Amino acid sequence: MSKLKGKVAFIGIGEVPTGRFPETAAIYHAIESAKLAIRDAGINKDEIDYVLPCAALFSPAFNTELVTCRIVEELGLKNVKKNCQVFAGGSSSTCATEIAASLINSGAASTILFVHADRLGTGVSLQGGIDLFAQAGISAEWEVPFGQHYSSIAAMSTMRYKHETGCTDEQMAAVCVSNRKWAELNPNAFFRKPLTLEEVMASKMLSTPLRAKMSNMLFDGGCAFIISSAERARAITEKPVYLLGEGGVVTHFVFSQESDVSRFGWARAGKAAFEMAGLTPKDMDIAEIYDSYPIYQMIGFEELGFAERGQGGEMFLKGDTWPGGRMPTTTNGGMLSQGHTGAGGACALMVETVRQLMGKAGDRQVKNAKFAVETAVGGTYMDAQVTILGTEIP
Amino acid sequence: MDTPVKPKPVPVVNPWAKPFWDAAREDKLVIQHCKDCGTNIFYPRIACPNCFSDNIEWIQASGKATIYTYTVVESNPPSAFIVDLPYVVAVVKLAEGVQMLSNIVGCKPQDVRCDMPVEVVFETLNEEFKLPKFRPVSK
Repeated sequence: MSKLKGKVAFIGIGEVPTGRFPETAAIYHAIESAKLAIRDAGINKDEIDYVLPCAALFSPAFNTELVTCRIVEELGLKNVKKNCQVFAGGSSSTCATEIAASLINSGAASTILFVHADRLGTGVSLQGGIDLFAQAGISAEWEVPFGQHYSSIAAMSTMRYKHETGCTDEQMAAVCVSNRKWAELNPNAFFRKPLTLEEVMASKMLSTPLRAKMSNMLFDGGCAFIISSAERARAITEKPVYLLGEGGVVTHFVFSQESDVSRFGWARAGKAAFEMAGLTPKDMDIAEIYDSYPIYQMIGFEELGFAERGQGGEMFLKGDTWPGGRMPTTTNGGMLSQGHTGAGGACALMVETVRQLMGKAGDRQVKNAKFAVETAVGGTYMDAQVTILGTEIP
Repeated sequence: MDTPVKPKPVPVVNPWAKPFWDAAREDKLVIQHCKDCGTNIFYPRIACPNCFSDNIEWIQASGKATIYTYTVVESNPPSAFIVDLPYVVAVVKLAEGVQMLSNIVGCKPQDVRCDMPVEVVFETLNEEFKLPKFRPVSK
């Protein structure tokens, strides 16, 4: 088992609003997010000795700038010994957290900055976005020739899940409504107007049974976080947010090779993370579950143990997962309401988890939140990544 | 904004998968079989994904399958597939135990169901490729 429990902590977070900003350079989203994270941590910028930029998808040229140390130079970071891209699609922030924790715990690094920025809202057209995601992570030999794309993938998971559990379209739509309740309270979210079940159910059919308002939309955005040793975090912040548990399971590359498209590896990944933390789902004050489509939030929620399989829909419908509910879930509104920024969806969710535990979530603050679980997944739901954070070490 | 009709994407063939596409051109569905551990293998690999043996042969599959899951694509598909709307994308499980992505053809899209029995049929993509697709088993 990993020896990283309680060894490192998040000390700062930064985020820019998610939306469409055609006049803004992509690098702005990266360096403004990083600046906010450095100021949030209250450290001297030159204490950062390691930078892990995530990858951007909208432009290979911009991504090359991230790889070739532009963030370090733009911010004038004087003591960085390595700038090294960490990329695992939607799982990038989780992978970067574990890598950062390992580097710090080994003594190779002391203060690590992770940054994500992308411009999928204005850097590509709507059809360009569909076409980009009809290839990114989809097998060019075994799936692209059959018209596979992310809506059809999410639809096929939804179809099988409904077939096995009897979940209704209304229960599935309730995930979107739940996330919107939170986004109404999130100034960085793109969609902040109230959303009703009826509106979700009446929206255009994309791929049966997946409708337009059950689909994420692509936007510009960025966020950042800083990790240091737990010891140092205690010295410089009032409320360090400790890494307590990590669990991960890689299941597939080609979606059609996955033997269980309505479960994946979440149960195993969750068990590993909870065991490492020495906690159970009942100890969690918040569940920050990766969405991108409601089916994946539903599966993650249930497989991690927050509801019996097939029973999660009722909780989303009844308001258990809403602000004020007994199991606050995906409290930034997720990709369905804050907006999807490529690999940034789960980066934003990681930042939100830390924000809630630091007590900095404003109108949507979950009171006295002590422990939270966060999930992330990349590609065509190729892996299941579970992280548990907390303000104390159990 | 007009979206020009784009040509259909063709499979980007890995060298070791060439026998699959050669057979498909002759309306034959073939998969790999590990002679050491008996595992049936799809998609084609350079070594058995179960026991890592190189002792792999090609066998002809029965062409019988069931639909594990599916969707009827009604809107917002990749550009090259706009002309095909509505079309069915499905994960089928072959009688030999392996899964593959395909399209369901030869029936109304709304008649497709999970666990429905289907059989392979080959559709010509261009001079070089035929794609294995599946249709409901005729009664």
